Amino acid sequence: MSYKIPMGPYHPGLEEPYKLDMICEGETVRDAELHIGFNFRNIEHLAETRNYFQVIALMERVCGICSFIHTLTLCQAMEKLANVEAPPRAKYIRVIMAELERLHSHVLWAGIASKLMGFKTMFMTCFALREKVMDVLQAISGNRVNYSMNCIGGVNRDVEDPTALLALIDDLEREMTRTVIPIFTTSSTARSRCAGIGVLTHEKAVSCAVVGPTARASGVNQDLRRDAPYAAYAEMQFEVPVEQAGDVRARLFVRALEIMESCRILRQALNNIPPGEISTGADKFAFVTGTATSRVEAPRGEVMYSVSWKEGSRNPARVHVRTPTFANMPAVRWMVRGARLADTPLIQASIDPCYSCTDR
Amino acid sequence: MIDLDSIRETLGVRDPWVESRGTHWLNPGTVSVRELAVLMNAVGARFVTITAYQLPGTEGFRLEYHWDLEGRLIGFPFVIAGDTLESAKFESIYDLCEAADWIEREVHEGFAIDFTGREYEPLLLRAGDKLGVNLREMAAPTGVPAQKEVAK
Repeated sequence: MSYKIPMGPYHPGLEEPYKLDMICEGETVRDAELHIGFNFRNIEHLAETRNYFQVIALMERVCGICSFIHTLTLCQAMEKLANVEAPPRAKYIRVIMAELERLHSHVLWAGIASKLMGFKTMFMTCFALREKVMDVLQAISGNRVNYSMNCIGGVNRDVEDPTALLALIDDLEREMTRTVIPIFTTSSTARSRCAGIGVLTHEKAVSCAVVGPTARASGVNQDLRRDAPYAAYAEMQFEVPVEQAGDVRARLFVRALEIMESCRILRQALNNIPPGEISTGADKFAFVTGTATSRVEAPRGEVMYSVSWKEGSRNPARVHVRTPTFANMPAVRWMVRGARLADTPLIQASIDPCYSCTDR
Repeated sequence: MIDLDSIRETLGVRDPWVESRGTHWLNPGTVSVRELAVLMNAVGARFVTITAYQLPGTEGFRLEYHWDLEGRLIGFPFVIAGDTLESAKFESIYDLCEAADWIEREVHEGFAIDFTGREYEPLLLRAGDKLGVNLREMAAPTGVPAQKEVAK
């Protein structure tokens, strides 16, 4: 006999506004339905009522974790419409901020995953590490969450002493290689909760068009930083970690390896940041009529903005935001099929879902 | 790397690809979106999204379909008529491209565009909300077809 178990939108195992209705037979999940929209904000409509400065502040609030990425993607699209280009130093600062944000996001996710595994010690370790990353973000931007770094034509704040940040990157990398990665890869707790759990096959990953670490953990070798470089990524040397197993453990491995690659990119960017201006300095822009798109590899995968403008207008005519969780979340249905009910909170968390992005 | 012109030739489109502000655009002419989806699957392109725009007055809507082909963002614009609330219809590609499911539902709810050939479950609308309430400009928000009420 099958029965339906609703999880969410307010549930101890799923602490964000999202609902998973699972059809179970005994302890096994046979199918699931996903429901979102509980905190839908209609930011795309709000964007049409904001001018070209206000819309940046608005879009920074699409996501609390990757707020920099959203303004970066938006500003890159608006720069195409205003026909301006950020100076080289600004592009490097954008890379530094984007990689710090990736570190912040991945370490935060590792902490949440640890908690869901019942590995509370690891949760505390990860959150202590995350604090260090946030300290660096605060040192650069003056803010811990919404950084207000991006503007049309560059960034608002300089990185005054890039080499001073290198010690912090070394410290973070040392902690990751000594503590976090060995425990995640060798401990029996992590292995028993993650290996073979929540598998998304390569075929299903392609069919669902998932993005970011979720795709790369299922053998889909894609990363916009390499495939369609933006900011200063074309000048960075890095690897794109890809795993084949498609389970929770593979997603964990991919993110762990990406933390190491982010440290590598940060070291290059901080050592090689060119001198010069951090923005074009303009505060008035002439937008042409038309549409521009921009894509950025956020911590969870591809973010895409389509921005449409009418010449002479102060407000965008339309801003469409495609967030990575919006692409990844439907795949959870396939991940939980055949799983044990007790594993479903960890499986849904393994895509590192952002409900704020999804209910944008 | 797949040559974009080979896609154009396979579709039988005469207009050239136009690269503009981040996207390679091809005007699909008489090619249907379903034929396009079949070809995109065949060449291994990754579906990205559909962006909907309401055109001025009674001109209807523009739907821009985006795929990623080996790191290149490619786009295909379609203009559909829809001067009344219930008249905007377009073929669904959900059965050919399951990744299009949520965005078709979002566009359906945001602009009251009906993607034909598929069933809908509510995505972002709450029980009692009206189609088109999120993004469509409406002179008179009465008589709007109600979204199927499903308790979430």
